[in-house]
Amino acid sequence: MAGKDEAGNNEASNNEASNNDVPKKEPKPAKPLAKMFACTACGASVTINYPGASMSVVCKSCNSTIDVTSEAYRILSTYVGKTSLFKPDIPLGSRGKLKGKEWEVIGFLVREETGSHYFWSEYLLFNPYYGYRWLVEDKGYWNFVTTIKRKPEAKTFTQVPSKGVVAKLDGKSYQIYNYGTAAVKYVLGEFYWRVVVGSSVLAADYIDPPMMLSAEKDGFEIVWSLAEYMDAKEIHKAFKVADRFPFQSGVPATRPPTELKELSQIGALCAIFCIFLTCAQFYFTAKAPQQTVLQYDGTFSPNNKKADITTPVFAMKDDTTNAVITLRAPVSNSWFYVSGELVNDADGTTYPFEKSVEYYFGTDSDGSWSEGSDTAQLGVSSVPPGNYYLNIDTESGDFRQSNAQQFSVTVGRGYPIYDNYWWILSALFVVPLYSFVAMQSVEAARWSNSDYSPYPSAESYSESY
Amino acid sequence: MLTLSCPSCGANVNFQSKVSVFAVCSYCKASLVRQGMDLDKIGEVAELVDDLTPIQIGTTGMYKGQKFEVVGRMKLGYDDGYWNEWFTYFADEKIGWLAEAQGFYAVCFPCFDMVPPVGSFHPGKAVDFGRYGIYEVDDVRKVKCLFSEGELPFNALQGRKSESIDLSGFEDEMATIEIAEKENRVFLGSYVDFDDLQFKNLRPIDGW
Repeated sequence: MAGKDEAGNNEASNNEASNNDVPKKEPKPAKPLAKMFACTACGASVTINYPGASMSVVCKSCNSTIDVTSEAYRILSTYVGKTSLFKPDIPLGSRGKLKGKEWEVIGFLVREETGSHYFWSEYLLFNPYYGYRWLVEDKGYWNFVTTIKRKPEAKTFTQVPSKGVVAKLDGKSYQIYNYGTAAVKYVLGEFYWRVVVGSSVLAADYIDPPMMLSAEKDGFEIVWSLAEYMDAKEIHKAFKVADRFPFQSGVPATRPPTELKELSQIGALCAIFCIFLTCAQFYFTAKAPQQTVLQYDGTFSPNNKKADITTPVFAMKDDTTNAVITLRAPVSNSWFYVSGELVNDADGTTYPFEKSVEYYFGTDSDGSWSEGSDTAQLGVSSVPPGNYYLNIDTESGDFRQSNAQQFSVTVGRGYPIYDNYWWILSALFVVPLYSFVAMQSVEAARWSNSDYSPYPSAESYSESY
Repeated sequence: MLTLSCPSCGANVNFQSKVSVFAVCSYCKASLVRQGMDLDKIGEVAELVDDLTPIQIGTTGMYKGQKFEVVGRMKLGYDDGYWNEWFTYFADEKIGWLAEAQGFYAVCFPCFDMVPPVGSFHPGKAVDFGRYGIYEVDDVRKVKCLFSEGELPFNALQGRKSESIDLSGFEDEMATIEIAEKENRVFLGSYVDFDDLQFKNLRPIDGW
């Protein structure tokens, strides 16, 4: 038997098991199951497909629910509506294979939350060997639901759950999503209990997408079930449904957390790349043949311009690489500006640059403050080897003193450059950031039908207003 | 295995287990009580009208690596339904019960080294089973024997009344306290998936 060919192949297993212990008997042919009787309410013929398993059935003509456990066929509830308001999207009697097993749709329920009048559909699936399952359809999205016997850790019905409450099962935590009263609004088909239109249970849903753990409490017992998100297309195909399925809208509670998964994957990838990049940066920093090729000291008078300073010629050897120009001046609530060019002594190629240093400080109502620094650095990339000199003009501004001051310009070669590193790093964060924002919006939408949303909603804004 | 003849119709009545003291003749449906090698007819079992179950007398299965065979059944009814208690005989002559209801299956064994707890039971109540752990009451049901067949370890006449308390323990563990006229007993076991029981010789079901 073991799963793969469940019910159908009984004959084979029958013969196989009739070993020497059991006296050989002709395998009894399966008795036809379905039974018919006249509806106690309207007299119409009612068929019950699984007597012995089903305890109640709904009359197709008058929609009364009927107890079939005794020949009295007691009416359990009558339906007030004259026309059928709801039509199952999967016809009763359809059979399909889900999760590797064959299921027949034997019952259909519409239930509503009594407070909000929010309603959804439930299809009862039956296999005489495996028992019952449910397909629950809500706003076009589907869950496959299995009743479980093991008890989750939860304090569901001792108090109304508050935000963030969890139920634990098999080492997983499920977050409270919904709590309310669910009432039977409409029924069709047959059921393993005595179904009564209008009867209600207290229900709580906890989610850990794509799974949902639910508890339902009536006067006698608490029944737990585990739901799993199921693709509508898979169900549509399995039951060979001719009509279109309901239009999907919103984000269902159990939508698989693909964004969350993606985010963690992207995050991991980015982290790996960051580590790689940082290692590479460290490597090149350590390897960089840092050397100073020019150290020029000059003077300037504040609030004056000084033009056409030419430095001595200096050599830049080896490969084409960057040149780093460092400017230093004793600025103090003042500024110093240099514009100039790096000139190749042999062919006159120029590399223009400009840079200023400024440093201000003071005190205000927030305390003391300062900004800027007395040093500035700029890089000139891809400078071929050769002899070079600098042409520079200086400008400066200082309100408090006009004494001549000294500045220095240093040209270094083969300095490690951090600019690219920081640029790539910040660009790298855009991807997970975007993915995080996308995830947040999906999660907020997922929780928009819940009173327990960890995300701010329009409603809570208006409440606090 | 002990084979005796039915005092009513002469057909063979088999007893696989030494602890079986009751049997229903598979031909004439006489309910029989065994005392040693003697069989006495004490009544007759009326056929079941609606009976949909995948198990039958002769079905075999595996539980925790041990093979068992279904040798008897008691169908129990309560206000809101019914379930089957299948009497099982294991390869090592141990006996147990396979409880079957609505596609749920549990295998359990009588627990002789425990005094059945007494008092009132209600769903949600925690019951201390000593070294077997704490169990929680799921439901309490007044039950009646609706039907019996095969061999059984007590007189399972139709109409036999008892109280059945279902409990669940850690993960898949389950327990049943049976409060009958003459004695109270505790059964301990676990819920098992249909596929894991590796059933053979199941009852054919029309259309499946």
